[in-house]
Amino acid sequence: MLILGIETATPQVSVAIGGHEGVLGQFEVSRGRRHAETLVPAIEFLCRQTDIEMSEFSAIAVDVGPGLFTGMRVGLAAGKAIAQALRVPMIGISSLDLLAFPLRYADRTIAAVIDARKGEVFYAFYRPVPGGVQRVTEPVVGSVDELVGDLMARGQSVICVGDGALRYRDEIDGGMRCEFAEQFLSFPSAGPLVQLAHARALREEWVNPWEIQPMYLRAPDAQINWSTREAAR
Amino acid sequence: MIIDQDTLVLGIETSCDETAAALVMGGYDVVSSAVSTQVDLHAQFGGVVPEIAGRAHLDLLNPMVARAIVEAGVQPERIDAVACTVGPGLIGALLVGVSAAKALALTWDVPFVGVNHMEAHLYAAFLEDPTLQFPLVVMLVSGGHTMLIEMQDHGRYRLLGQTIDDAAGEAFDKVARFLGLDYPGGPAIDREAVHGDPEAIQFPRAMLHDGLDFSFSGLKTSVMNHVRKHPDVGTADVAASFQAAVVDVLVQKAQRAAQQVGAKGLVLGGGVAANSLLRERFLSACAESGIHGFLPSREMCTDNAAMIAAAGWHRLRSDGPTSLDTGAYPNMRLSFVQ
Ligand SMILES: [Zn+2]
Repeated sequence: MLILGIETATPQVSVAIGGHEGVLGQFEVSRGRRHAETLVPAIEFLCRQTDIEMSEFSAIAVDVGPGLFTGMRVGLAAGKAIAQALRVPMIGISSLDLLAFPLRYADRTIAAVIDARKGEVFYAFYRPVPGGVQRVTEPVVGSVDELVGDLMARGQSVICVGDGALRYRDEIDGGMRCEFAEQFLSFPSAGPLVQLAHARALREEWVNPWEIQPMYLRAPDAQINWSTREAAR
Repeated sequence: MIIDQDTLVLGIETSCDETAAALVMGGYDVVSSAVSTQVDLHAQFGGVVPEIAGRAHLDLLNPMVARAIVEAGVQPERIDAVACTVGPGLIGALLVGVSAAKALALTWDVPFVGVNHMEAHLYAAFLEDPTLQFPLVVMLVSGGHTMLIEMQDHGRYRLLGQTIDDAAGEAFDKVARFLGLDYPGGPAIDREAVHGDPEAIQFPRAMLHDGLDFSFSGLKTSVMNHVRKHPDVGTADVAASFQAAVVDVLVQKAQRAAQQVGAKGLVLGGGVAANSLLRERFLSACAESGIHGFLPSREMCTDNAAMIAAAGWHRLRSDGPTSLDTGAYPNMRLSFVQ
């Protein structure tokens, strides 16, 4: 079974192909051209280099957020289109799960924190368990102060990971002493995505392309930008 | 790849508040066309909310593509190319369609072609009247544009005139909002005007005898001034008189443009072309002047994906496929010859 993984919920674009043999190929860039311009050519490139045809995928895995709304939708729109065209199911995995998973060998609570802009962060707490991590709180959006309050309330040593943790490192450090994961782990990545998706695929925990739902956690900003709206019509 | 009358193009449109997919054969023959409008989602805000539009496009696009394919009764393998609006429009809305369209093209291993939404509006009329001949004058009236364009040939356009301030549709929306009518303003004024007297108030016809450009912001202001000065004026009379002023200018300038270039046809397009008074007056003016006027159906005037597939077919023929590393271009313009 081959799975295509698509991850575009943060400034990074990440694509991976994997299956029973683990991750067979991965492409990742975190600067330069925008998500929509990079994603489809990246999939094409990765397929060519791994000598895999699109028609060989039996499931499409996508990071469903939380994260940057526009970025998330680029990945979801492409993933849903591919799944629809191939008539294969989809597996949606949270960006926060993807951040925590590479830290599964840590000996402490993991705080996965994504920059939500506007002074807020998306976050959730995880506990390492044999073979992976277990989420212990629901993903939420909150101010940096709320995150620091939640960290202090845990009263135990925590390791923070994610671009939100890095951006607000000083504020978090001011509240309590935390450990921070390496910078290269601060974006969710499609490698862990296909690994986690493969485990779910074996249990047939998948959905139809029209059923997959992004995790926005924030109501739409209903402010109307008349100038762009009018240019649009 | 040969692009001919057997080339089946899937069109995708997500630039504003309509999610649409359609299959068009050979650039002219609409095999299926599915449109889902989000008007109800935005109505409570009195305008299109970009984030709400982006979310809705993501939910609605796969069902629209599925519907277009099922209604066409073809196997997806039969599709020869995927065309999609790449601009102008709302960036977050455009990106949903562009990402999905490129992904479909990659998966099916067929060409992708990016389409300018405005150019697609020019092609809408050909889908219902393939006998139209060049030079053709198209009056494009929507919430964002009021333009008179001469189509000299496929891909060869000359701008004859355009609005120097508000678009006609924008004036409808703003006046409707001012009068406390529903959103969207065009249909609301159209409905209200039925009960009013179009000659009750003489609103100005700006630049009526003055070239082929338009101006609607003064008209909007005089509506507001009139209502403030006469607070007990009937809303229906204001709506009818305002609509008559807009339609007068549009119809006369369209006629003049067609005469100036010796057009073999005159066509209406864009969302405002769904206005009933404009439709009626456009046809009677054409009958009077002897110009071959063509009025596309309301479905073809408003945003749809059949026109995207048609424009895509022509672009594919003239320029070939668009690279898969293309993005979305919210401020994309149409290029004109001098
Ligand atoms: Zn339009």
